[in-house]
Amino acid sequence: MSRERLIHGVVASAGAAVGTAVRAFDPLFISFDYKIRPDQTGQEVQRFRASVEQSREQLKRMQAQLKRRSGAESSFLIDAHLLILQDRLFVDRIVSKIEADYINAEWAIQQISDELFRAYDRLDDEYLRERRGDLEDIVRRLLHNISSKKTAGPKKIPYDAILVGKAIPPSTLFELRAQRVVGLVTETGSPLSHTAIMARSLEIPAVMGAQDLSGISSGELIIVDGNRGIVICSPSDETLVEYKSRSKDEKKSKKRPLQASSPSVTEDNVRIMLGANINFSEEVASVVAHGCESIGLYRTEFDFFREGGQPDEESLVADYSLVLKSARGAPVTFRTIDVGIDQKAWDGVNTNLGVRGLRFCLENRDIFKRQLRALYRSSVHGPMRILLPFVSTVDELEAAHEILAEVREELAGRREPHNPSLHIGVMIETPAAASTCDIMAPLVDFFCLGTNDLIQYYLVVDRSDRTVMHLYNPFHPAILRCLHQVYTLLQPTGKPMTVCGEMAADPPSAAVLLGLGFTSLSVSLAAYPKIKRMIHSVSMSRLRGLAGDILKMHKPQEVEEKVRKALAMAPARY
Amino acid sequence: MRQREVVIGHRLGLHARVAAKLVQLSTKFKSNIVLFRTEETGAVEADARSILSILFLSAGHGSKLGVRAEGEDEQQALDSICDYLAAD
Repeated sequence: MSRERLIHGVVASAGAAVGTAVRAFDPLFISFDYKIRPDQTGQEVQRFRASVEQSREQLKRMQAQLKRRSGAESSFLIDAHLLILQDRLFVDRIVSKIEADYINAEWAIQQISDELFRAYDRLDDEYLRERRGDLEDIVRRLLHNISSKKTAGPKKIPYDAILVGKAIPPSTLFELRAQRVVGLVTETGSPLSHTAIMARSLEIPAVMGAQDLSGISSGELIIVDGNRGIVICSPSDETLVEYKSRSKDEKKSKKRPLQASSPSVTEDNVRIMLGANINFSEEVASVVAHGCESIGLYRTEFDFFREGGQPDEESLVADYSLVLKSARGAPVTFRTIDVGIDQKAWDGVNTNLGVRGLRFCLENRDIFKRQLRALYRSSVHGPMRILLPFVSTVDELEAAHEILAEVREELAGRREPHNPSLHIGVMIETPAAASTCDIMAPLVDFFCLGTNDLIQYYLVVDRSDRTVMHLYNPFHPAILRCLHQVYTLLQPTGKPMTVCGEMAADPPSAAVLLGLGFTSLSVSLAAYPKIKRMIHSVSMSRLRGLAGDILKMHKPQEVEEKVRKALAMAPARY
Repeated sequence: MRQREVVIGHRLGLHARVAAKLVQLSTKFKSNIVLFRTEETGAVEADARSILSILFLSAGHGSKLGVRAEGEDEQQALDSICDYLAAD
């Protein structure tokens, strides 16, 4: 029973943690478990039954609507849901679980559905296995209906929670950060998903793409090792001791000051600009406390959609002003929202080739204008730059400029104080922008290179698809040539360029960027110290030589080995 | 108590839609109705009113199932369930 078991995934955020598994069924919901007194079971069963009843009513309503719209044919799916709600294998067992174990309804639902999920997974028939989706939907609905009745008090999760789920959205991770989530494991997602980015910025170890997590139940002690990309279930005593001592060491090294305030200069005295990337306004304070010189990328979409709805202009002005004030004079680059309005596009399945970034903003002008008005109005509180994401044509850029001009006129008309000469930049993250950046240059004050997307589009590798993830490689000669081309095209224009993708956050690939001529990088706070150390330890003239050499090489592997050798870095363990 | 053996006629076997209809059909009768696998040792049984237990039987097209009905309308129940399962 207590045999140690390994589940393999990919590294999404470094570090290791020992903790209590908390199953997150749904992006939107994390259940909480507590014991009840024997005399409370009746009331608890009532709570559960009420949520069953409410769910049934909702489904019946949906079914009626469906029948009206598309006939009886499609409504049978809801029949299956309704039948689960009256299935004694489900309902009766949950009730007896509450009564026998004295636990809250959510916990009982979770345990019984975990058992049923395992039964689904054991089925030979692939089609039937897929039907577990029906049960997932039901469970989600029940938990939602239970929680929306405010009988349960605040969400409570264990002090050392490791979130385990199919997918966990960045917003959930962020909401729970104050409750000391110590780790994260998901079946979907990749190191480049927004949740992974969030985990890194919160310094929470994470493993993603872990196959078959259904064997892990809430309350179980597990280890997530974000350095090796594994999850350890039922760890042996030796393993536990090893990991516990290791996580103590890691905590110690985190407490060591970053010394970010000393300038980033290479061994041969070349000054490198090193900024910090943030996703949430709350992070500004720690960026400043660490002495980072600028915020090279503030991804505003996380805050924008944080509440699930859309903020009004006044609350945006308040947020952005606060960001600038807390930055205390450090320049902040605000990237306008880069996401479709469809929140489902955030993790895993995403419409990477669809309406994103500036495309989205141009189609939803009222949202775009609201954000721009808020940005301009806040601009009096500190140095600000505006960055436009996902640009692929000069037309889009011109359209954006028209809107920017309209916003400025509007504010001038209203006599709103603002800085009319904010620098406007473009994100180079599409192959189109990479090869035409010189054509865009006259319309742009600065450029940022988003290497995550650029690599994905250049190499035609969906970064959330497990089957091709290994082909995603910043050392691919095509990427080196692309970056070299961008540098060569932009250098004569004198427009500043910053690299803010993950490529800048890993020492070997960051060294390649320096060698190719990019002297301004922006990375997450978690990567800041190691990149700073790398900068201090390298000589720019040697890196330039290295860049010349690797540009002639044929294979990603050769390039990476050459770079690691030059930096005297051991090859990655994973 | 009456029982009989049927061969599943539906092309996809006892998948969601068929299982759902089966549950709806079974609830029309007063008798208890149980499906069970006849081909294997170790009886795997399913309550015909529990969609989950029917799905977990994982009975594909052409597989043999036993049907058992017990109650005042057991003959009609057995006939109508078996007819439904054998139909394609």
